[in-house]
Amino acid sequence: MRKILMFTLLILAAMVTACGGGEEKDSNTLKVMLGSNAVSLDAAQATDSVSFELMADCIDGLTQMDSNGKAIPAIAESYDISEDGKTYTFHLRDAKWANGDEVTAEDFVFAWRRHCLESTKYAYIMGATVACVKNADAVTKKEAAPETLGISAPDSKTLVVELDAPVSFFPSLMCFPAFYPINEKFYNSLEKGTYGTSPETFLSNGAFTLTEYLPGTSNIRLQKNNSYWNAQNISLENLQYQVVSSSDNALTAFKNGTLNLVAINGNQVENVKNDADLSKNLKIIPTGLLQYLSFNQDAKNHHGGALANVNLRLAISNAIDRESLVNNYVTNGAQATYTAIPINFAPNAETGRFFAEDQKQFSDVVSFDVEKARRFFDAAKAELGKDIFDLDIIYANDSGDTVIKVAQAIKSQVEENLPGVILNLQPMPKAEYLDRVTTNSYDIAITNWAPDYDDPMTFLTLWTTEGSEISEHWSNLDYDRIITECTTGDLAANYNERWSAMYDAEEILLRNAVIAPLYTNASAVLISENVKGVDFHSVAIERVFKNVK
Amino acid sequence: MTKYVAKRILMAALTLFAITFVLFVLIRIMPGNPFPVERMSAEMILQKRLELGLDKPILVQFADYLKMLASGSFGNGTSLYNGAPIKPIMLKCLENSFKIGVISILFGTVVGLFIGIVAAMHRGKFLDGFCTVVSILGVCIPSYVFMIFLQYFFSYKIPFFPYFFDASNFLSSAVMPALSLSLFAISTVSRFTRNEMVEVMNSDYVKLAEAKGLYGWQLMRRHVLRNALIPIVTVIAPLVVDLLTGAMVIEKIYGINGVGKLMVDAIAGQGVDYNYVLALGIVFSALYIAIMLLLDILYGIIDPRIRLAAKEG
Repeated sequence: MRKILMFTLLILAAMVTACGGGEEKDSNTLKVMLGSNAVSLDAAQATDSVSFELMADCIDGLTQMDSNGKAIPAIAESYDISEDGKTYTFHLRDAKWANGDEVTAEDFVFAWRRHCLESTKYAYIMGATVACVKNADAVTKKEAAPETLGISAPDSKTLVVELDAPVSFFPSLMCFPAFYPINEKFYNSLEKGTYGTSPETFLSNGAFTLTEYLPGTSNIRLQKNNSYWNAQNISLENLQYQVVSSSDNALTAFKNGTLNLVAINGNQVENVKNDADLSKNLKIIPTGLLQYLSFNQDAKNHHGGALANVNLRLAISNAIDRESLVNNYVTNGAQATYTAIPINFAPNAETGRFFAEDQKQFSDVVSFDVEKARRFFDAAKAELGKDIFDLDIIYANDSGDTVIKVAQAIKSQVEENLPGVILNLQPMPKAEYLDRVTTNSYDIAITNWAPDYDDPMTFLTLWTTEGSEISEHWSNLDYDRIITECTTGDLAANYNERWSAMYDAEEILLRNAVIAPLYTNASAVLISENVKGVDFHSVAIERVFKNVK
Repeated sequence: MTKYVAKRILMAALTLFAITFVLFVLIRIMPGNPFPVERMSAEMILQKRLELGLDKPILVQFADYLKMLASGSFGNGTSLYNGAPIKPIMLKCLENSFKIGVISILFGTVVGLFIGIVAAMHRGKFLDGFCTVVSILGVCIPSYVFMIFLQYFFSYKIPFFPYFFDASNFLSSAVMPALSLSLFAISTVSRFTRNEMVEVMNSDYVKLAEAKGLYGWQLMRRHVLRNALIPIVTVIAPLVVDLLTGAMVIEKIYGINGVGKLMVDAIAGQGVDYNYVLALGIVFSALYIAIMLLLDILYGIIDPRIRLAAKEG
């Protein structure tokens, strides 16, 4: 008995003594919450903003974003554009990988070719709809040799990129992780499939290096990279990430100082606003994420394809009170949206105005107007010869309760404003949701899209005949023609004409109610008062910590 | 004895095979897509399916999988999401869960035994009632609720322990999860200890020992505890596997990189990661079966009646 007692006491004593002190107080450490795991640090694998953020912490591409989201030089010290806008010559600065190797133009050639050769999830971004890199689509489809890809390195500090058509946003596109370089020698020294899976198998050339990381784990630690070309301007020594899946947990961790930057949900925003201390830390960050209803317009879908009727779609779209959605259900600063392009995104190069700044321009087809909705509905009933429409509305319910509340609100609004429409709410796990969308077994999906690059085209290409194979099943040749002209056609070289053509495309989209935009999301964050210089962006890399003072 | 052991091992192997088969089939027939398809075209999905052999009949897929298992890798050895090899990540996570599991088992067993013994020695009195209440509470309160309670009071209100698990500060981070996990072990072990001891204490040979003049702690240690321990081991064994394979909710709340969290993420991530779920399922089952096998064999050694029964059967 005495032995047992002694043993117990010993264990307890060991535990307690080990805990003294606990938290280290390091003023030069920033502790940041992540809402979900980083999928991968390999740009060929990741599609999530968390992974992008980590990659941007550790790797510099040709350009980077300044605090306003404008592309400024990074590894490329400067660049020249040919007169026809189709050839970019980047002059690289003297920069080093963390292992001491020089960052060379070949590193970019290797990384870009790899996307096409392995047809990664981002191979498309090299191709005709986005970057228009010469031969990218042919190399991806294995119809051309990788050497024919329009990227070459005449010498180790010069990178020449040839495009099939001028791309006005090409410099800002270079901030996106898919265009980051990879050290070829280092990559080839690794076992296949292990690149970016641990600090040892990942090489940075950027502001921070990885010190602790495993795919799917909760704590990620980074530390300042002293061999970074701009190291003298980086004041943050340590950057720690903690994955926290519950926002209640995040809020408490912020309150007791465990985390310096956390995201909170709409329910918490009200409470925080009423709290004199916490409200000082609250910041509403606009994002470029558009939440919208996707209408399945395949006439052969499982409910007889009623949504192939444009008037029925218009009726539903006009029966939704978007202001009430954002003010009563989302409540995190999201903005009601009446355009297919979200609000805080894609500023015009000349005027600086966001593409979708004028929210009223399509108000005759997208608005909240019950009378108008009923007129559309009457027309739909006459055309389809029936009065009752039973529709399934599907959504993924594993990413917080906002979408659940929004779905319920939409159901009650639409059913009240359009008597005869019945919306069956079908929440499901994301995996099943994606399966339902791809297998065409849904009527309406609540979905969203976040921009990959700072141009309306990142949204508009979703609805081309080719792009909508997966969802909506809508096809319009005029629309396709405008998109082709804007990406690879004549309009690509003319900024202003292209810009107004994109409005034409958006108009076709909204007059046909291919989708019903709901709101542009925002994110509510709490940030410690002494933390200055975190840059928030609505495109590609959502948070940048390089400039933290 | 050899025959008994051989039979047990064969049974264990068959069980593991059956579990693998059921797991494999269940995962394959589950609705949903294994890939985060949002950014993949129909063509890419098809290509990926072909690459992974998902187009083949399920039995062929199973045979392929067994072949790969035999060669020591799980699935094609990589996560479906990020292509990263499963094994090193799983081992690292197992290590974290094991460490916390071992602490909670040691702590739980020791405290459970102590409470059980105290209760048995004072049976029918106040201390017995008190210990019973403690052990019932332990069974009733889910460990993660206790964990949240601890986190609130000892990390938030009184910032003594780290608010999230911190591998570089292991011992201090392990206290709260280990304590919460041991709650169930404490109550189970204490309840069994008490009941077994009370039963043994009522037996004739203990009464005889008492009549001979033995009493108190000496009687307990020499005659009661030793006999009461055998059934208690049976309760502890499955608990060991439970605790070693991690606690999904606690790991998720506290941010521990353990196998429980790994499993949850594999199931509820962007798509179900077949390879991870299967690999983890197989490892958990194998551990469970191995411990049970060990127990069976130990029984055979400790208690010849079991061995004999097996022979006759």
